[in-house]
Amino acid sequence: MADDKPQVNPSVILREEFDDWAVLFDPDTAEGYALNPVGVLIWKQLDGSHSLDDVVAAVKENCEEVPAEVADHCREFIADLVKQGLAGYEVSK
Amino acid sequence: MTQTAEGRAPERPRVMGTPKSVDIDITDRCNLRCRYCYFFTSSADVKDLSAAEWQKFFEELNRCAVTEVCLAGGEPFIREDLQEILAGIVRNRMRFNILSNGTLITDGIVEYIASTGRCNYVQVSIDGSIPITHDSFRGQGSFAQAVEGIRCLQRHKVPVAVRVTIHRQNVRDLENIAALLLEEIGLPAFSTNSAGYMGLCQKNTEQVQLTTEERHLAMNTMLRLIRKYGNRISAAAGPLAEAQGWLEMDRARREGKESLPDRGFLVGCGCTFSKIAVRADGVIVPCNMLSHIELGRINQDSLADIWQNHPALWKVRERRAIPLSRFDFCRGCPYLNFCTGNCPALAYNTLGEVDHPSPDACLRKYLEEGGKLPEEEVG
Repeated sequence: MADDKPQVNPSVILREEFDDWAVLFDPDTAEGYALNPVGVLIWKQLDGSHSLDDVVAAVKENCEEVPAEVADHCREFIADLVKQGLAGYEVSK
Repeated sequence: MTQTAEGRAPERPRVMGTPKSVDIDITDRCNLRCRYCYFFTSSADVKDLSAAEWQKFFEELNRCAVTEVCLAGGEPFIREDLQEILAGIVRNRMRFNILSNGTLITDGIVEYIASTGRCNYVQVSIDGSIPITHDSFRGQGSFAQAVEGIRCLQRHKVPVAVRVTIHRQNVRDLENIAALLLEEIGLPAFSTNSAGYMGLCQKNTEQVQLTTEERHLAMNTMLRLIRKYGNRISAAAGPLAEAQGWLEMDRARREGKESLPDRGFLVGCGCTFSKIAVRADGVIVPCNMLSHIELGRINQDSLADIWQNHPALWKVRERRAIPLSRFDFCRGCPYLNFCTGNCPALAYNTLGEVDHPSPDACLRKYLEEGGKLPEEEVG
């Protein structure tokens, strides 16, 4: 994995439907995954250039009442995205 | 929102930043001239837009995070470059549906459709259990070709949807049609509607549209088929939908309810809150059945801007705040607070007014003309 900097699956669509509601839609499976605004913020960090630490820093900077376990939450969230095929890591040659 | 004697207007659904899906007529051409086609009023003379023009529009849909397009026409499979158009949809991260008469479906194009993995379904129209019923309004030989089209889709494991349009020539063939589709052909489900007073149906209404007695027959038959086949048969319009809706309205009235939730207003259409349409000439419209309301043109006007700001589109959305009590047509109706006013396109095609309840779907009018509610209830 390239420095553990996750990136979104480029086929997946982020639909920011309302201020408080977004959906990730995978056109290959026709499945949708609901995201809250913090999830959207994290999703937008997953461009292959941000590490987990960068993601956590972005959450701390942009959100209020951030829990002490934020790093664990972000790690679990990203791991779930990867498990669902919505995000991944670039494969090194 | 308007406060009325009937109560508060229904909450307007929230409008997303961009449409979720887009209905596209990719051609004006069709190899058939079905006598009740909503689309045609005359011979088609609009030149198809090129695949490149659609490709450019699909790129905009991608930027707008549209997830799905529905291709119709005309007959989509008449386009020689359909594969190129579908490839553009796939490249731009969308899924697709195709609405077809089924007669031009070939192994070659279906093999490609299957390979994309992005097809929700191809919908084929079947209106009879035997050729004479189906072909009566669609043209000789069309039944055999449509059934072969379905078989072709099944061979390639492409999901098939079938739509049965109920009319005067097939209203006594509905049991056989259900048996053909669900038992012999083995479809998981099919849907029904009836020919609306639009397009060619306006010229052929005497031959096509059900009489009051036939409407009653169709409702009873469809409810009986629902009891037999369960949710394998569905309808958003036509006799089955009317039977279900009218029974609910009548039950509520008999039970002394004042109203049903969100009823008593022009709430019969929610399409413009999640999707938009494009005519074959590239003009963006609220719905392909309200194609006279021109909102802009693809590749010239911003889809997101039209979706978010166009006054004519908001006017259609805001029908929901118009109480039925405003209309002379509805005055004194015992079903007023249980009614949706139904489809705006049917109202427009019948009366020339979008902001009006559809007379075609009016329960009181049906009863006044001697109609009876169906005898059987679902389940």
